[in-house]
Amino acid sequence: MPHNNRSRTPLPRIFMISSGEEQTEGRGELIDHLDLLPSHIPCIVQIREKHLHTKDLLTLALKAREVRLPTGSLLLCNERADVALAAGLDGVHLPENALLPDKLLAFAPLLIFGCSIHSPEALCIAEQSGADYLLFGPVFDTPSKRKYGAPQGLKKLGELCRASSLPIYALGGVTPQNAAHCMDEGVYGIAGLSIFRDTSRMAETLEQFYSILNP
Amino acid sequence: MIPSSPFLCVITDEAYCPVTLAEEALKGGAAMIQLRHKTASGSQLFTWAVAIRNLCCEYHALFIINDRVDIALASEADGVHLGQDDLPAAAARKLLGNSRIIGVSASSLEEAVQAEKDGADYIGFGHVYPTVSKLKEHAPLGPKNLQKTVKSISLPVVAIGGITIENAPILISMGASGVAVISAVSRAENPSKAASDIISVLQKSVQ
Repeated sequence: MPHNNRSRTPLPRIFMISSGEEQTEGRGELIDHLDLLPSHIPCIVQIREKHLHTKDLLTLALKAREVRLPTGSLLLCNERADVALAAGLDGVHLPENALLPDKLLAFAPLLIFGCSIHSPEALCIAEQSGADYLLFGPVFDTPSKRKYGAPQGLKKLGELCRASSLPIYALGGVTPQNAAHCMDEGVYGIAGLSIFRDTSRMAETLEQFYSILNP
Repeated sequence: MIPSSPFLCVITDEAYCPVTLAEEALKGGAAMIQLRHKTASGSQLFTWAVAIRNLCCEYHALFIINDRVDIALASEADGVHLGQDDLPAAAARKLLGNSRIIGVSASSLEEAVQAEKDGADYIGFGHVYPTVSKLKEHAPLGPKNLQKTVKSISLPVVAIGGITIENAPILISMGASGVAVISAVSRAENPSKAASDIISVLQKSVQ
């Protein structure tokens, strides 16, 4: 199984996904969000702006890279290992229909690679391909994922967590109120998009998650 | 590196299987295949890329991928073709090294000059003629502008956009090293014959 150097440092337990509404030339709310991260709470931040041209994604990634993030934080982009390398990001998050980590580790051995998974089969493939973490969801009902059907639920989350030795993040409708249930099923951390959108409450939400996930 | 002039580059058409089209084009003598698909998933692109790369090896042609430097590296393609909205050539060069080919689209002399400075290996110049393959923001550049660009830079220039068997030879006379087509091959009744017919008129135009 391929290994990468970066996986030896512990991954943050909070995984924040960008809005998908960033504009060209790095205009949007992502940089404001990054500036507001509490300095003692490490986060994974995934730049997931699939509508952007590659050039604009690179511009945004370079801008994000300039922000001083909490120690231990990791900055990832969606799918594009070329952009991650060009911008000096820490890694890449791979949707289920993307290239698998082993193909990318061949030319990007120092990047962290995580995979979205929706089934035990996908979990197995991602694990064997050298993924550093897995992302599973939607666990609970969430407006942004309703078009993909019913939530997958805590039971399935628990089954997947027990089937893998990799860190698994729960995504989809996870709140400080239900995060403990995810922990009980064996998740490593939680991921979210909508819950972090409101900048006036972001720091408080992060604090709540942090105290639940780092008891 | 770049095929000897005059050559035909065939760009895949999203309406058809890119592997089948590439094979037809290669049978007809295309010296360069560009895989271009803006909506396919990464794993789908990679699968196509490996298949087309193998075909290109068999036919001693070059295999180029549009935009996706990551897929090019993973599939060991010969290079990439970058539009003005893709990764800048200089950034791509750092990832690809000097042995891989970088083509850059230019729709003006200024863009062509910049691409040369950024380390491109060839310029895709166009669109030279009116085209339905893509919605265009500017008027066709025409053979005259192509010639001006060829004379102003030292890189090989590949003409693109609205090229047919009838209007291709003049572009070679104006100094293009090759022509790139989509529909002239993909939409032909017999794509492989269409490719070989274009190549023979290109060769006649330099004799």
